[in-house]
Amino acid sequence: MNQDYFTYTDGLFDRSKISEKPEALKGIRVLDFSHIIYGSVISKWLALFGAEVIKVEEPYEGDAWRAVSYWSKYWKDSSPLFQPLHPNEQFVGLDLKTQKGKELALDLAKKADVVVENFRAGLMEAWGVGYTTISKINPKVVYISCSGYGQWGPLRFFPSWDLIAQSMSGVAQLTGFDEKQTYKLPDYYGDFLPGIFGAMGVLGALNQREKTGKGQFIDVTQVEVLFRMMHNWSYMDLTGKDLLCTGNVDPAMAPSGIFKTKDEKFISIAIATDEQFAALLKAMDKMDLSEDSRFRETFKRLKPENADEICGIVDTWVKKNSESAIIALAQELGFPAAPVMDDLQIASDDWRRERDSVIEFEDDMYGKGTWPGIPAVLEKTPGRIKSMQRPVGYHNHYVLQKVLNLSKEQIRELEKSRIIGYWGNSIGQRPPVYYDMSTDPIINFTEGEEK
Amino acid sequence: MKALKGKDQVFSRHLAGKKASEHLSNFNELLADLMGSSEGKPEVLDDTTVIEISHANFPALISASLLGEFGAEVIKVEPPDGDPARKATPYGVNVKGIGIPFLMESRNKQHITLDVKTEKGIENLKKLIAQADIVIDGMKPGFLDSLGVGYRQCAELKPGIVYLAVSPYGHFTSKGKAFSNIPDADLTAQSEAGYPALTGNPEAPEPYNYPVKAGVWAASYMAAGLAVSGALTALLYKRGTGEGQMVDIASYDAISAWQCYSTIWGVHFKKPRVRVGNFDWAIFPYGYYEAKDGFVSIAAGSDQDFRGLLKIFKRWDLENDWRFVFDRITDDVDKLKVLEVEFKKEIAKHTRKQLVKKTLAFNQKAVKDKLRGQGFPIAVETLSPREVLNEEHWKIRKSFTDVDVGGTKIKMPSSVPKLSDTPLRLKKIEAELGAHNTLVYKKFGLSE
Repeated sequence: MNQDYFTYTDGLFDRSKISEKPEALKGIRVLDFSHIIYGSVISKWLALFGAEVIKVEEPYEGDAWRAVSYWSKYWKDSSPLFQPLHPNEQFVGLDLKTQKGKELALDLAKKADVVVENFRAGLMEAWGVGYTTISKINPKVVYISCSGYGQWGPLRFFPSWDLIAQSMSGVAQLTGFDEKQTYKLPDYYGDFLPGIFGAMGVLGALNQREKTGKGQFIDVTQVEVLFRMMHNWSYMDLTGKDLLCTGNVDPAMAPSGIFKTKDEKFISIAIATDEQFAALLKAMDKMDLSEDSRFRETFKRLKPENADEICGIVDTWVKKNSESAIIALAQELGFPAAPVMDDLQIASDDWRRERDSVIEFEDDMYGKGTWPGIPAVLEKTPGRIKSMQRPVGYHNHYVLQKVLNLSKEQIRELEKSRIIGYWGNSIGQRPPVYYDMSTDPIINFTEGEEK
Repeated sequence: MKALKGKDQVFSRHLAGKKASEHLSNFNELLADLMGSSEGKPEVLDDTTVIEISHANFPALISASLLGEFGAEVIKVEPPDGDPARKATPYGVNVKGIGIPFLMESRNKQHITLDVKTEKGIENLKKLIAQADIVIDGMKPGFLDSLGVGYRQCAELKPGIVYLAVSPYGHFTSKGKAFSNIPDADLTAQSEAGYPALTGNPEAPEPYNYPVKAGVWAASYMAAGLAVSGALTALLYKRGTGEGQMVDIASYDAISAWQCYSTIWGVHFKKPRVRVGNFDWAIFPYGYYEAKDGFVSIAAGSDQDFRGLLKIFKRWDLENDWRFVFDRITDDVDKLKVLEVEFKKEIAKHTRKQLVKKTLAFNQKAVKDKLRGQGFPIAVETLSPREVLNEEHWKIRKSFTDVDVGGTKIKMPSSVPKLSDTPLRLKKIEAELGAHNTLVYKKFGLSE
């Protein structure tokens, strides 16, 4: 019991033990009809924690996100934007627009625990593979439909993207220094936040299913999830005023802002409490201000004129000090301060590697890579990466034999009639050039011949 | 959205036609009925008691609130002078001393005071934990352990407990230890996650050229989403095995760990992205633009979508030079600006409504094209929160709730996501300090 706390926790979360530990979601089968980011990251969470995710894509097209990359640059013929969203998944190329394709999808759905989709609202229904059909053949299924505005209500057919959802929710007008030049929340926040809320919903429904044996329908919308995180509604209601762009000041924290240090680095400081304020004053050697009636108490400090004043004082102090000196003071005295980190710092951060949120992983097909890893650390059932993306249709034989017990001949028939299919030859869909498919055990999978 | 009044406007040929229309109309009614009300429905966590112990830690506070919406009995334990998170609120706006963010995230919670500096307080806390299923630790890492109520003691007090630790740098690793004294704040969490480094206009005059923070609590809500997903994953495992565990969330890494593209960029380019104002790094156009009477958001994801926009703007002359995504997305920002100038010119000729109407009309025609060669660009009005509230759709879906807070009705966002059989719900907000002391002390057998 006297063991140092961090020695104890470092033992709990020891990375070298991860492969020996069980997976929380083992035995959960997810049928994923989603594409781009939003629905995909729900499956990603489930796959990281052990679920079997079968990703269904259109043959010879694939998920459109396969082909999108930053500044249009690719890695081993794959998109680094697509890769990290699909760890541990199985890839099936199935044409949902054909009758036989739909039947196969329903057969898979019968054996699934979770169905994820983010087509435009109503499309799965119109195709005959929606919730009304699947819940009848599989009442245990947790079916989540991801959309911009929801599966019901007059706006349901209106198109959405992350950016569009930011605009339709009002978030679009909140970032920046003034309303004439606002910025989107970068890197598709309008997909990733609704995605994790969707995962939360699925996990909630799976918990319920443990009690009742029954599945249910989940309607997650980008716009409503963004509503959920905005203070604006109550603020407008209470004051009659708008709460729009506030630049780098958090109006709920004073002082707060992003400041430039003596060594020309950016750091942020945000003070939430009187206690943190006292620590900051001590760091700044401005203890005389602790008795100042403008700053002594949180609500007073938050008044715009007082907040401006104290932010100005902090700005002057930061300009005279180095980043490392300020962070050291924050560590010692206990107030929120952090460097404005950049991509390279994040990618090469030891802390993140220790937490497994950045992972070195050697994949059978893509070789060594450094990837975004596990976003939440679970002691007994840690998440893990077991494989990276695969080409469209790579698991056709594997899944159709293993899950649906189809014979090789039946699968070949489906191939011939192009009900199932593979990758097109465009970038993002195809395997890396050096990879020899002819000897690959999965694409050539034959039941009973496994090692 | 006026364009949508009257007959439903659909943007897929699969959704058109009599049979599909009928089915979708029925489906709409079915869901409105199925999802529209939570009355009489069970709750997922009606068998779960959550103890939240946090100090100026919104990710922890929000996590507890979300579990409360799932139906858990959530008891927030505060020191006699209260959690200072009560006071962190835009410009100090409060209701009887309680700020907006704290009120908003007090959903269905019970608030008790308990002094952990006294022996009696610790005894009471132990009694609570022994009857709990989830403990949320939003204190400085190691603090509860030093009081004898950390994970290693909780696991003995209540075998099978799920211990959710939410802190800036996490409860393990060398940095976690070295930085354990740094408290949580959304802005600093965004910074450590690399978020402001992606936003803003480096060409503006100082200090407007600084990295810009997200104008919402992007890090706190991301962290809470991860934390609750982690807790529910652990809870599911417990239902199968009886085993509890510790779940650790680093709020300062939430955005970078989940949103994940900073890592990708850093790994592949060995250098950070430069801030490029309103450009996206993978899609053009994908941003906010100024129309005659305000702002619009325009997104064209694919080459077809881009060509669609050119047709809408009657600017086919640009097609030759900018046909492929490889032309439009380049690390040569100056080259990008050439195209952006042309787009800005066209957009500025229209009002917001004209642009929305034109693209919708184009899309409705384009989706009838079997090969989808016409593309599907999107333009919407960039709405302010005030404009959002006028939208009928959200009224029909009851996306906002007027909550009674001590006699005052306050508008808040409703619970998300929507579950058909066990809907999340916002039942009450009773956030006064110690509001539930009598009730909870009695129910859990704590000594006064």
